[in-house]
Amino acid sequence: MTPLLSLLVAQVPALRLPQVDYFALLPEIVMAGMAFVTLGARSLTRRGLPPAVWTLVTMATGLASGTLAVLLGRRVETHGAFAAVDGALAVDGFSVLFLVLVSAAVVLFALAAHPWIEREGEDGAELLSLGMLSASGAMFMAAANDLLVIFLGLEILSIALYVLAALNRRRAASGEAAIKYFVLGAFSSAIFLYGIALTYGATGSTNLARIGTYLAANVSTHGGLLLAGLALLLVGLGFKVAAVPFHTWTPDVYQGSPSPVTGFMAAVAKAGGFAALVRILFAAMPTLRLDWQPVLYALAVLSLVVGAILAVVQRDVKRMLAYSSISHAGFILVGVVAASAAGAASVGYYLLTYTFLIMGSFAVVTVVGGPADAHQDLEDYRGLARRQPLLALGFAILLVAQAGVPFTTGFLAKFYVLTAVIAQGGYVLAVIAMLAAVAVAFFYLRLVLVMYGWAGAGAGAGAGAVGPVGDADAAGAGEVVLPAGTTSLAGVGAGGGGEPDLAVLGGGGGLALATATSTGVEQAISGEGLVAAPEGLAAGDGDPVPFPDATKVVLALCVAFTVVFGIWPAPVVDFARHATLLFGLR
Amino acid sequence: MLVLESACLGSFLSLDLLLFFLFFEVTLVPAYFVIGGWGYERRGPAALKFFLYTFLGSAFLLVGIVSVAFIHDRQTGQLTFNLLALSAHGGFRGGVGILLFLAFTAAFAVKAPVFPFHTWSPEAYSQSPTGGVMVIAGVMAKLGSYGIIRFDFDLFPQATVRLAPLLLTLAVASILYGAVVACRQRDLKRMVAYSSLSHLGFIVLGFFALTQQGLDGAVLEMTNHGLYTAALFLLIGMVYVRRKTFRTGELNGLQRSMPILAGVFTVAMLAAIGLPGLNGFVGEFLILIGTFATHRWWAVAATTGVVFAAIYLLWAYQRAFHGQPSEENAKAKDLSWREGAVLAPLLILIVAIGIYPRPLLDRITPSVVAIVHHVEASTSYVAPSVTTTGRVAALGGKG
Amino acid sequence: MSIPGSWFLVVAAMLFTVGAIGLLVRRNVLVMFMCVELMLNAVNLTFVTFARMLHDVGGQAAVFFVLVVAAAEVVVGLGIIVAIFRRRAGATADDLHMLKG
Repeated sequence: MTPLLSLLVAQVPALRLPQVDYFALLPEIVMAGMAFVTLGARSLTRRGLPPAVWTLVTMATGLASGTLAVLLGRRVETHGAFAAVDGALAVDGFSVLFLVLVSAAVVLFALAAHPWIEREGEDGAELLSLGMLSASGAMFMAAANDLLVIFLGLEILSIALYVLAALNRRRAASGEAAIKYFVLGAFSSAIFLYGIALTYGATGSTNLARIGTYLAANVSTHGGLLLAGLALLLVGLGFKVAAVPFHTWTPDVYQGSPSPVTGFMAAVAKAGGFAALVRILFAAMPTLRLDWQPVLYALAVLSLVVGAILAVVQRDVKRMLAYSSISHAGFILVGVVAASAAGAASVGYYLLTYTFLIMGSFAVVTVVGGPADAHQDLEDYRGLARRQPLLALGFAILLVAQAGVPFTTGFLAKFYVLTAVIAQGGYVLAVIAMLAAVAVAFFYLRLVLVMYGWAGAGAGAGAGAVGPVGDADAAGAGEVVLPAGTTSLAGVGAGGGGEPDLAVLGGGGGLALATATSTGVEQAISGEGLVAAPEGLAAGDGDPVPFPDATKVVLALCVAFTVVFGIWPAPVVDFARHATLLFGLR
Repeated sequence: MLVLESACLGSFLSLDLLLFFLFFEVTLVPAYFVIGGWGYERRGPAALKFFLYTFLGSAFLLVGIVSVAFIHDRQTGQLTFNLLALSAHGGFRGGVGILLFLAFTAAFAVKAPVFPFHTWSPEAYSQSPTGGVMVIAGVMAKLGSYGIIRFDFDLFPQATVRLAPLLLTLAVASILYGAVVACRQRDLKRMVAYSSLSHLGFIVLGFFALTQQGLDGAVLEMTNHGLYTAALFLLIGMVYVRRKTFRTGELNGLQRSMPILAGVFTVAMLAAIGLPGLNGFVGEFLILIGTFATHRWWAVAATTGVVFAAIYLLWAYQRAFHGQPSEENAKAKDLSWREGAVLAPLLILIVAIGIYPRPLLDRITPSVVAIVHHVEASTSYVAPSVTTTGRVAALGGKG
Repeated sequence: MSIPGSWFLVVAAMLFTVGAIGLLVRRNVLVMFMCVELMLNAVNLTFVTFARMLHDVGGQAAVFFVLVVAAAEVVVGLGIIVAIFRRRAGATADDLHMLKG
């Protein structure tokens, strides 16, 4: 027996164990480790601890891993970028940027989710530990230097997100969102994996650096295989970042998932997906640029246009944000198309600012949504400025920033993407991107209008909602009703304001007619005519919206980040730019 | 309001394209909130429309600015957004120059507004509060015309010369369209909004006449328009405070109940018509002379705009201020001293510039001459000189 | 030994296609899961074949990762299904129609 065994052992070459540099892995280890610690602690405590404990633990974890990432960044700055764990992980400015980004998202997620946890009576440990777990997946994706590690990170990220989407057991929609996300997510992972397999077959390695050197040195004899692999990789990641035509899951999943989870999903899944995309394309396959650039060009244009158009016709705020996030993905893809160091920097910067914008927005959506996230319609935001002035103000700033108004980070993000692509001569793409940005701006501004109760498209439902308030209020509505002639004029006038506008108006008009049966023709007309919600109605409409402390903090953080670094962009921009300089691009 | 003002100032002052764009854009936000927050009944859609239109224009502007910088970078190896450096370069010739010119002009034409891009302005003007509309029409609209003279002329002289007929046509279209539509308005505020479209057409006409007189007149007209339009909007706002309506059908005989207000209105109105002796005349006269020298028929067509201006303004005045006042109109109070104090400076300037425009023209002329030279230097175009500026100014002064 | 490696690749590609089509066509969620499994295992086959052709252990190691991930995916997926369909009769994807727009 023993001789046989020794014979076998002799035949197998001694396994070379990789040198593991634990310091380089520390942010990820902390994140994933604390997820398990939280889960373990929860199952060991019999009655459970108050949710605030888990929130604080999660925040501390996010801060710790963020700090470690910054320390790692220091080391990268002084000693240069290096690969860890036998080349499977890259530790460079780019990965540090995304580690910090994901850590920030975790802190914001803990804060945004806290009110939700208390309201829904969850105990929090589950939600937050899953959040940390998926964050660690995104971190692995960002730092991965090997296609398989990217895949593992992707799966850690996704599987945790599937569960998070399903977490609201009281809502059937939550489960439905989860199963849709799961089926399409698994499908896209399988496609991505097949892409890895084909790339492996064509180049002989799954390591990005080795693929890069191989492709630079050899003209591949397996051109078709390699291109098929590349295409499948793009499809797989396209699903993750929600680029059209792989976006179909996004609105359903965004709408169905618990609101804080949606924000987290939007920020972290996009960050992970784009980090992987940029690294695969820029680090491993820059030689195939002529092959992938047109594909991404098409994806970017489609995402921009489709996202913008569909965002405008939505009535559910979460769906609108979903479509607008598709449009944002298109914008980020424009940066990828630029295929330069500036492009990669603009992608990093865009994602960083987007994280704060979207987390803050969904923190507001969480609060306004009410029990079981029921209130997501545009009408539920009517008059929010009177019910919660500060909340509405913060939300308005975040929305305006997403629209890309100067002196906010949102504008700078768009600006850097544009400069990157124009520097490469992509004028047409730049024009398309800006036009799409204007179309999406319509949706953000309409939401602001509605919040401030200055009317807005489809005020018909508003008239319906406030109908039962009382006679005095109805009289107030009567005062502002215009003669029918002017009303139709207003309709036409606003319709000329932009093509999609007309469709919305049609929808608004339809709603107004529907409510007419129950609330009287006058109010329906006032709705159709886009008349401002009269002051008298304000007090009565909608449920009171709470404004928990945690939301205050998260909103303050996001707004502060958006405005301060919008006016004083140097630190963050340098961070992003520095990140890609170390990345080894031109 | 203060934010809006300072953003406008920032735009006028910046020589850096990027900085200009930032301020140019940022004027939108406070203006949006001013219209949306304190406007009249249909302020919501008006604000939205205003914002989106201008945003659309500036989308092109941003792409244009960045493109200019990078083309410059490729040709000279120096990446800058500084206007002086970029215009010294003067290399945006041919098709690229025309495309970029169109991108810049789209933004400015929306902001100005010029005829096919104007549809936001009547809505926004008539729905915004009095103070807001004064700033939006009086100052922000000038950002558009300022942008044309500052950036289009400096950066793309060739394209400017080649596309001048197109812009002139648009300008004449704005003049006539604005005037005709203004004639049909039964709402004082909308009428002034359309008349201001017509006057902005004059400004653009003066620019693209590409003569010293035309430019002189246009720049002067920018000032003038800011003065008398602001005065008119202010007066109409005061009427609204008393009578809660802008509709001429419900106003009559106001001259009886408030003679002073009516008098002030007359002066501002006559300035807008372009009566000699008031500021409107000097500007329009110079513009027409300048245009006549290079583009005769456009000038002729534009002159009819002046006639229309007389028609609609006098017509409106007649309906609102003449006749027997109805009971409510008779009870309306005249100007208070506070309102008078607000109006007085505007009125004094209207008359002063009308009688003695020299000091202003002296400041305008050198920069205008520089612009004309810049255009001449980089193209084969030669601006004709009909009369010396001094004589024209004296002419305006005498009239 | 006489079968060339490319045959395995073709079989794997066919399996992958069958899985992908099945996922898109079938309406029973459990069958859809099986299709995902089929796709993943087709990839495994591809990996092993390539590892053999390239004389590289990396591809074979990848298979273990994929197996683990597949197992984890199925566990979570079944958990979600159980959570959703506890109150329903059958596991048909067409019943999921609350979210649309």
